[in-house]
Amino acid sequence: MEKIHVTFTVNGDLIETDVLPSQTLLDTLRTTLELTGTKEGCGLGACGTCTVLLNGEPTRSCIVLAAEADGADVVTIEGLAHGEEVHPLQESFMANGAVQCGFCSPGMILTAKALLHRKENPSKEEIITSMSSNLCRCTGYKKIIEAVESVRDNG
Amino acid sequence: MILPRFTYLKAANIEEALDLYREYGEDACYLSGGTDLVPRVKLRLAKQRAVIDLKGIKALESVEEEDERLNIGALAKIFQLKENPVVKEYFPAFRASLESTSCESLQLRGTIGGNLLQNTRCLFYNQSEFWRTSKGLCLKMGGDKCNAIPGATVCLANYSSDNAPALVTLGASVRVVGPLGPREFPLTDLYSGKSGRPFVLNAGEILTHIFIPKQKSLGGYEKLRIRGAIDYPLLGVALSSFNGKSRFGFGAVGPKPYLFEVDSLEQGRIQELATEARKSARPAPNTVMDPVYRRDMIPILVQKLITKVAEEAR
Repeated sequence: MEKIHVTFTVNGDLIETDVLPSQTLLDTLRTTLELTGTKEGCGLGACGTCTVLLNGEPTRSCIVLAAEADGADVVTIEGLAHGEEVHPLQESFMANGAVQCGFCSPGMILTAKALLHRKENPSKEEIITSMSSNLCRCTGYKKIIEAVESVRDNG
Repeated sequence: MILPRFTYLKAANIEEALDLYREYGEDACYLSGGTDLVPRVKLRLAKQRAVIDLKGIKALESVEEEDERLNIGALAKIFQLKENPVVKEYFPAFRASLESTSCESLQLRGTIGGNLLQNTRCLFYNQSEFWRTSKGLCLKMGGDKCNAIPGATVCLANYSSDNAPALVTLGASVRVVGPLGPREFPLTDLYSGKSGRPFVLNAGEILTHIFIPKQKSLGGYEKLRIRGAIDYPLLGVALSSFNGKSRFGFGAVGPKPYLFEVDSLEQGRIQELATEARKSARPAPNTVMDPVYRRDMIPILVQKLITKVAEEAR
């Protein structure tokens, strides 16, 4: 099967690589680029665990072909922290106890980041609607919502 | 979950997409947002040699307000349409069905064309190949039995678009372009009424536009679901009321959206409608919810919408 040459940025770095047409963006991030912060949940686009930002929009990377990401700007959870300094959302998730097993956290945090970028001051209801895109099997939604509200209020 | 091997092709315009289709024939399928197709390919429900990505056809992303209608490109995203001022002002049923579709992240990715052309679903069909073959191939997979209803000779997989029931109440029509040229027809004619092959599109045809007549309406959409987000509908009811007449659309209870028109929202007439809808709807034991309950919820969601419209009309 002929490979396709793709170019995209991941967390600000320009990536040029050859991908199989049947390779998902998730496969490429985790296996080729070894960015294992993005987790695979259901693998069918339902749960939101594998969410990354694709051109700023929260996107389930398990149902996006790597070839479709050609020319795109991709941000994964690894792109949020600067060295030891974590992103305010990551800080808030820790401070509010919004992390239980942690498997959904990368997707949750990126969904929240996209919302706060799109809307400066979302209501609690808007936060709940947006965060409903992602499932948490530890049922920790209350603290997750509080963590996002805290960043909305305090930056 | 690993995807099977296929060739990925990207079309820059409709002609190119049709040329690519001619080259690969029925071994090819079209890709837009991928939120329905890619999971189907992963589960080996769709097996094709080539995937033709339509997202390069930028002209099909636009939504234009014309004198008499709203002209929606099939690649317009669900989320983008939800925010459209004409949709908000004229088509409350459609606005509500867009809002009910899955969740925000998938609304940002999924297109209206893809939503309308999503395949029918069944608890015994949307499973891995291993699971399905262990159970024995069903009618929709080319087998000779139904795994949902023992003894059934017809497939009753559900057409689960939230937006189709709303769009049929608004009198929407569609434009498709294929190897034999373009054609336009009412959205209600897109459906074969058969769950196995739910659409009457000819080989290679691409859904390019959806048109909604610009007529102000009152209305809404009610969706029966287990969770408040992500879920497909277990029953969807749309209502659009215009001067003196009201249309109801029912979804997720059979192979197509069902449309009913009434000239009054008086209790007697509504009872008749609910009885008629209950008879036409074909909920089967093929979702996570009991079919009797789904059928019984028809008059309840109808009443809920009537109350909503009556309050708005006041």
